[in-house]
Amino acid sequence: MTLPSRSNASTVADRLAEIVGDRHVLSRPSELLVYNSDGLPGYRRQPRLAVFPGTRDEAIAVVRLLAEEGLPFVPRGAGTGLSGGALADDIIVIGLHRLKEIISLDIENHRATVEPGVVNLRLNKHVAPHGLLYAPDPSSEAACTIGGNVAENAGGPHCLKYGVTLNHVLAITVVLPSGEVVELGSKFGEHDGYDLRGAFIGSEGCFGLALDITVKLTQKAQTVRTLLADFMSVDEAARVTSAIIASGIVPAALEFMDGPTIRVVESSIYAAGYPKDAEAVLLIELDGLDAGVSADLEVVRQVCIAGGARSVKVARDDVERLKLWQGRKKAFGAMGRLASHLIVQDAVIPRTRLSEILATIQAISEKYGVLVCNVFHAGDGNLHPNIAYSADDPDESERVHKAMTEIMNACIDAGGSITGEHGVGLDKMGYMESIFSDTSLNAMCELRSVFDPDHRANPGKVVPIHSCREWNAVASAR
Amino acid sequence: MKATHTLSLRDDSGVVSYVPGDLTLTVRGGTTLAEVARITGEHDQWLPLDPFGSDDGTIGATIATASAGPLATGFGLPRDLLLGLEFVNGRGEIVRAGGKVVKNVAGFDLSRLLTGSWGTLGVITEVTVRLYARPKVDRTFAVPLGRGQKSTAQLLLAVAASPLAPFALEILNGAAALSLGLGDNPTLLVRFGGNAPVVDVQLQAFSRLARTEEVEQSTWAAFRKIDGDAGSVIRISTLPTRFLAAASSILADTEPRIMISINPRRGVMRLVTRDDRDRESANAVDAGTSLDFPSDGHDGGTSVIFEKLPAEVWSVVSPSVVSDPLSRGIKKAYDPHNILNPGILGD
Repeated sequence: MTLPSRSNASTVADRLAEIVGDRHVLSRPSELLVYNSDGLPGYRRQPRLAVFPGTRDEAIAVVRLLAEEGLPFVPRGAGTGLSGGALADDIIVIGLHRLKEIISLDIENHRATVEPGVVNLRLNKHVAPHGLLYAPDPSSEAACTIGGNVAENAGGPHCLKYGVTLNHVLAITVVLPSGEVVELGSKFGEHDGYDLRGAFIGSEGCFGLALDITVKLTQKAQTVRTLLADFMSVDEAARVTSAIIASGIVPAALEFMDGPTIRVVESSIYAAGYPKDAEAVLLIELDGLDAGVSADLEVVRQVCIAGGARSVKVARDDVERLKLWQGRKKAFGAMGRLASHLIVQDAVIPRTRLSEILATIQAISEKYGVLVCNVFHAGDGNLHPNIAYSADDPDESERVHKAMTEIMNACIDAGGSITGEHGVGLDKMGYMESIFSDTSLNAMCELRSVFDPDHRANPGKVVPIHSCREWNAVASAR
Repeated sequence: MKATHTLSLRDDSGVVSYVPGDLTLTVRGGTTLAEVARITGEHDQWLPLDPFGSDDGTIGATIATASAGPLATGFGLPRDLLLGLEFVNGRGEIVRAGGKVVKNVAGFDLSRLLTGSWGTLGVITEVTVRLYARPKVDRTFAVPLGRGQKSTAQLLLAVAASPLAPFALEILNGAAALSLGLGDNPTLLVRFGGNAPVVDVQLQAFSRLARTEEVEQSTWAAFRKIDGDAGSVIRISTLPTRFLAAASSILADTEPRIMISINPRRGVMRLVTRDDRDRESANAVDAGTSLDFPSDGHDGGTSVIFEKLPAEVWSVVSPSVVSDPLSRGIKKAYDPHNILNPGILGD
């Protein structure tokens, strides 16, 4: 595999322009600047070219041309990812945001087929009049695309009850890096054979491009009730979280925000009315049939109060409910007030270890003199410790990265995972060897090689290249 | 090629880790579902996975075959409950996938890949699953369906359109109902669980749609054993609406010796013949493959999955389900010598 020289690249650009039109190929460095990072601004890589197919056939033609030329590429959705997964280091970006048609909607069977560039919120607006919703709801739902969700196996607050992307995707039409088009899964029902759809979901752009995705829609709950419980200590809120999970009630969502997060949200345009002097709030949502939700609401309220909640407020109507949610969903954005860069972590821990790990995170942040804002999916044990900092300050950057590494190692030691929903991408690749053995990583490389024998799709991401036995054999033979 | 050796995992059993407050459980692959139920039951929890057969089966086999039963309506398929696993590939290497926490996207998803691979990619030695709290109330009701086609169709559509969220919902033909001691009428079996108000409100709503009669919870165990000495078991899967539209005629017309159950929410119908006489199995295959669903503007999309067939019939209909290049490539990578359950998927 060789990268095109500059002159060769211009020929490729011309040929891509023949497929998608001049307007939809970018090759000037200034135009490409927008594509040199994703939602995690600490990483920057400048792509060589960016191409934006406008139809499915154009997307296939683009991939086939790159296959013919042996050129590597990175698929990209809305660029909201938080792992550096959509960065292209001097190679070609294939942006799929123009493929945004909702192809079909089957209301009675609760399914929809969409193109990869359809934004989550748009699909939800489209199906809402029928009493349906698409359950995975990343906080970036107003911008992120279903294709990107599939690539990352995206989650969101309501995945606590409803499951992540892999639980909601029935079938995917994929163009493999070779240019061949395959159907994975079934739009209609169950099938036998290997679960290739399951293997593709969360493959982070390394297995090919989704051309269309058939998703399962969920019937909107009869009743939704949202509570805000506030605490004067992080530890109390953590223990209440564990107690709610242990009670057996499965809330639709159970979100945690600590004091620093509350204060930054409340001083932003996303202010939700969280008590500014609290050290933690829990945002708890229950849904289902009226009668059952009322009974569970009482139990949850009691658990919160018994666990030391200063107050428990129940949203009276949808306006109040959405306001409470806005603060949570826009918390990352609000952190932009603190500093120019934000590092977002995504570790998962067993839910009984929450109080202990939060104390560890506090100790680590004090040790390195950094401000950690914790805003996360507590019900799943999916932590998002965030640190706002300036990447232009080398001393601060170093302290931030050391703190983050120590936090991650504490989560791994607790029996957790390095990523719950953001993906490995570039950012977490260094931790893969901490949680997987050589043989396990090699098995992942082997699966990747079946989908992409030449390793041209999103190269250098997810699994460290030196973990791939076959790759090493080829390299040493050279 | 046929397998010459059996590798029994029966003795590789027991709990690896179980912290009830986490609602996750890690066990060795040879642990039976009965053992899982016993261990989790002590903490008022359960793994809501009830594959056809019995709880004598192991968790490893359940995942390897992606076997699900009636509770799939409320809790999903094995792929939805599985968090991680360990397996030994065809080169004898130990591979771990996923993890022990409830949410995890680290690395490519080998857990889903192994689920339903029938032992052809690896021997599953350890499994981590998500658990649920046992419902405070768990009740099952039977509704005899009139032979009159219209009323049955109306009832099914009303149930489908309601906000009811049953744990399980199965429509049985007369033969299947009879084998469970529920009389010889087509019957709808429904299971409601949760806190008391949630069950009561659903039961009230349901009772307005039909005359119901509470039956023992053991009815489900009996239903799962319906495959017991069956000659053939065929699973048909397609869009739920197709089953709703065709249910009345399926229930009215079918050969009485074939036991049929339809799970409309999951979009699955199972045909079970009572014994191993080839003629009946062939009839079941005919009934399954020639099902005529009303035209609904969608083309095709009906999967016929053979779960069990007599050897003679199998050789005639045996499909290869892993003949596509991706599946072949994966098999070759994970089992280069083709020693793992060779031929089971008709390769």
